[in-house]
Amino acid sequence: MVKRPDTNQGKVAPEISDDDIFAAMKEITGYLDITPGDFKEVYLLAFRHARERLLRQVTAREIMNRNVAWVKVDTPLKEVAELMAQRGISGMPVLDGAGRVVGVISEKDFLRGMAQGVSSFMGVVADCLQEKGCTALALRERTGADLMSSPAITVNEDTSILKIAGIFKERNINRAPVLDAQGRLAGIVSRGDLLALTPCPDGGAS
Amino acid sequence: MNYFRKMRGTTTCPPRVSLSEICWSWLGAFVGISLVAYLNFTLLKGTGWLLLTGSLGASALLIYGAIKAPFAQPRNLMGGHILSALIGVCAYKLMPGNLWLGSGVAVATSIAVMHATRTAHPPGSATALIAVIGDDTVHNLGFLFVLMPVAAGALILLVVALIINNIPKSRRYPEYWF
Repeated sequence: MVKRPDTNQGKVAPEISDDDIFAAMKEITGYLDITPGDFKEVYLLAFRHARERLLRQVTAREIMNRNVAWVKVDTPLKEVAELMAQRGISGMPVLDGAGRVVGVISEKDFLRGMAQGVSSFMGVVADCLQEKGCTALALRERTGADLMSSPAITVNEDTSILKIAGIFKERNINRAPVLDAQGRLAGIVSRGDLLALTPCPDGGAS
Repeated sequence: MNYFRKMRGTTTCPPRVSLSEICWSWLGAFVGISLVAYLNFTLLKGTGWLLLTGSLGASALLIYGAIKAPFAQPRNLMGGHILSALIGVCAYKLMPGNLWLGSGVAVATSIAVMHATRTAHPPGSATALIAVIGDDTVHNLGFLFVLMPVAAGALILLVVALIINNIPKSRRYPEYWF
């Protein structure tokens, strides 16, 4: 066995020293037919498996925000923006008349609607400063349906956080509405909810 | 890792076991090997039958001295010895006039087969070698060599291991049977 797992993965597995292992082996009576180095390798790999198992076990249901703000397809963008500002959020689901989630509207969608060139905040600022004035005015008469990203990328209550993290990364999104078994909006998970699961160095949750 | 740097090693030697562990290992090995040797040198004297082989001495270290090791578990002890003995006898019978090739084939094949069957027990390879380079008493046994001395001798050691290794509170044997 040559390649040992990268011991720089201190963030992933608690750092364990050869001395710790040696001391533990001394506490166990009887001869253990394994070197401290091999034990460390087993430990780090086992820790990674345990971590992945936990990530698979925790589902959207346990971490989602149930008090989810949403708008309808015909909600004027003015109200959409007001609601997002009020709640201090950067995106929310858009529902049709029957209560189905048909899209998600976020800051990114607004920026895309306002900017001519680059759909970023600074792109919008640049546009405004080029004597065009407030480019948001063009959105005044429009509704959620005009700007939302559709179809919505949703997850189920039973979707594991491992899978959710993969979806966020792959689709480059920051939040996903969570649907219950009947397909109704049950909550929302954001990148922040995933991050909150990572313990802080001081032991608390971020 | 660089080829030559690999030869420097990466870790440390495991700690020394306690004195009681040393004593219990000694006692188990003494009882097990003495019993098999006694039967071998008294009961079976002059019969052409054997019960003791050199490889059982190596087994003693494992099943009395390293009782948590996978190598020392009943599956490995019995499986490793029996399969290796079979391979050793075959190797000798296939190449009776070619001891150097028979030796190499017997030992190498015993390792491969023990790995493949998850019965790795290092003394098994010694058993395979003995089947090839043993004296006439060994060769005359033919395939019976597998049953006795090998299987019977290992079985007696196993029974002694079950009795002795479970006496102290700090020990238990086996970790698994099969």
